[in-house]
Amino acid sequence: MKVYDSFRSALQSLVTNKLRSALTMLGVIIGVASVIAMVAVGNGASAQVQATILSLGSNLITVTPSNLTDQGLRGAGAQSQNLTEADMRALQDQLGDSIRAIEAEQGAGRWQVTVAGTNTNVNVQAVTEAYPTVRDWNMQTGEFFTKDDVSATQQVAVLGATTAANLFGDADAVGQTIQFRQVFGGGAGGQGGAQRARILNFKVVGVLEPKGTTFGFSRDDQILVPLTVGQKILTGRRDIVNQIVVKAIDSDAMQQTTDDTFNLLLARHKITDPVSADFTVTNQNDTLAALNQITGTFTLLLGAIGGISLLVGGIGIMNIMLVTVNERTREIGIRKAVGARRRDIMWQFLIESVALTGLGGILGIILGWSITQAVERIPQAQGLVLLITVGTVAVAVGVSVAIGVIFGLYPAMRAARLHPIQALRYE
Amino acid sequence: MSLAGRLPPATDPVVHLRGITKTYRIGKEIEVHALQGVDLDVYPGEFVAIMGPSGSGKSTLMNVLGCLDAPDGGSYQLAGETVGKLSDDQLAAIRNKHIGFVFQTFNLLPRLNAIENVELPLVYGGDRHGRRERAVGALELVGLGDRVHHRPSELSGGQQQRVAIARALLNDPAMILADEPTGNLDSRSSAEILAIFQRLNAEGKTVVMVTHEPDVAAHSRRIVRMRDGVVAHDERVANPRNAEDEIAAGIGAGEE
Repeated sequence: MKVYDSFRSALQSLVTNKLRSALTMLGVIIGVASVIAMVAVGNGASAQVQATILSLGSNLITVTPSNLTDQGLRGAGAQSQNLTEADMRALQDQLGDSIRAIEAEQGAGRWQVTVAGTNTNVNVQAVTEAYPTVRDWNMQTGEFFTKDDVSATQQVAVLGATTAANLFGDADAVGQTIQFRQVFGGGAGGQGGAQRARILNFKVVGVLEPKGTTFGFSRDDQILVPLTVGQKILTGRRDIVNQIVVKAIDSDAMQQTTDDTFNLLLARHKITDPVSADFTVTNQNDTLAALNQITGTFTLLLGAIGGISLLVGGIGIMNIMLVTVNERTREIGIRKAVGARRRDIMWQFLIESVALTGLGGILGIILGWSITQAVERIPQAQGLVLLITVGTVAVAVGVSVAIGVIFGLYPAMRAARLHPIQALRYE
Repeated sequence: MSLAGRLPPATDPVVHLRGITKTYRIGKEIEVHALQGVDLDVYPGEFVAIMGPSGSGKSTLMNVLGCLDAPDGGSYQLAGETVGKLSDDQLAAIRNKHIGFVFQTFNLLPRLNAIENVELPLVYGGDRHGRRERAVGALELVGLGDRVHHRPSELSGGQQQRVAIARALLNDPAMILADEPTGNLDSRSSAEILAIFQRLNAEGKTVVMVTHEPDVAAHSRRIVRMRDGVVAHDERVANPRNAEDEIAAGIGAGEE
């Protein structure tokens, strides 16, 4: 019953001087709200970065050659070899069911693409048939090219959603023919020098669904062609791929698959010492972890800034509680005279302080949430993602109560230590 | 100290003081020897008035009696319990159990109503069961049964003091300790309060009252006079004034 009495007494005190309670709580409310809002920004950034990485495809392991120069010529190490389609096929065979899918890519440069009166300048990427599976990318219309297309070096193309719209408007692109015109010089087959103009016909077999912008590049404004077409016809760099991308079965299999891929390729390239590997295997989980660490630090920093205002709010609590204790010195004396012990008085004021900050914390959470809602509606802030998690709320409540205890303790102890005789004499 | 005319006591005293000393230090140098060896016995059912000029130590004696302050020397037994060098919490427990305070300035909590004020001792100790009912009962005992939900600001001085007396009664203490209980009251209200004390005393309650007014002390049955920190005089009151009679006779009728 004692606790109940203390609560009732505490609430009574808060209600008696509503203005003072409200102003005191304001510090905590603003403090908690700013922490909530700041951490929401941090959490949102974290989630956004994570989503961006995962939008490139989940559970990915990427193999890139170490010494690849711009021209595709061999780099400094005499032993270094290129990554080839053969490497990819070998991995495909040897990893078998232990992976979900595997694909290989080569960048084929920018090309001027025309169709009956319209033209556009797009990036062309040469890939293998498992690209959609690996990249978690579905077709909007039509189909992706097949393994046979790759083997037979078929001049087929899959368009990104934006490119299809640019070239065909609302009409269906599937089945249409488009023309590639080469823009850059550099020549085929490693010859430098004179610019060439070439026109190549491609049949559109499918259009990808929209994916949006990733790291500043629009993924919907590109054209995909079979790897062999890119290698033999578009760039002339026959025995090279820019990267091989493996999709692991699930997150748990990532480490194993990474090790398997590395070892298999090491054996294929006949390299005994892993340190001299002429390729790099990147595990997406590691990338995510590194980025999470960065965004995590960022979030912590933002939270700390918000925490400063909470600190100020706490000092306000201590200030007001000291004033309150002073005002109620007589009352404390009376309570002691009729038998209140030190801890009775201490609990009474401690509960009052915690009630103030607890209520302030709850209101602060509501205010913080409202702020995130309001910011989301501002047009200029569209790039900003705000995320409030259960964890954030729990921490906010916990911190509010802690503030009430920490900053209310000193005033409560002062109240408890008052001597009844002096307290009774207080005017 | 004169014990002339006193019969040998049949029971143990409620209050038993022997050689009580208390010294205060003011600033760094001045020592005030407030109590310099007080011997006092108060028996159950007595109505004692403690009188004395300023500086005689009667306020300090009241603080010691009320366990608000611990004596520096001597022994104090209250209702059989030794109140020596006890901790603050232990003193609080004794106050809660054995002492009912009535102050000159009433000392009610302004934001609580009458019932809540009266039940305060039971918030801090004793049997919490049915404390509401006991509080109402105590208020009825002092004649305020119809004002149980009033705040102190809604009550007259005399009514507030009656609430204080009800609070003092709540834990059924060994004694009621009143410090100038009529100091802030007019003649009529003073008489009403003294009438209550006399009634309670007639029913067996021990009442110890500190006062500087001879008119008030005349209502008690024993007057202890303090001087220079010791008991100078201790005598029974031959014919205590009866407050009820005074009320009936219209005391204070002509006053503001």
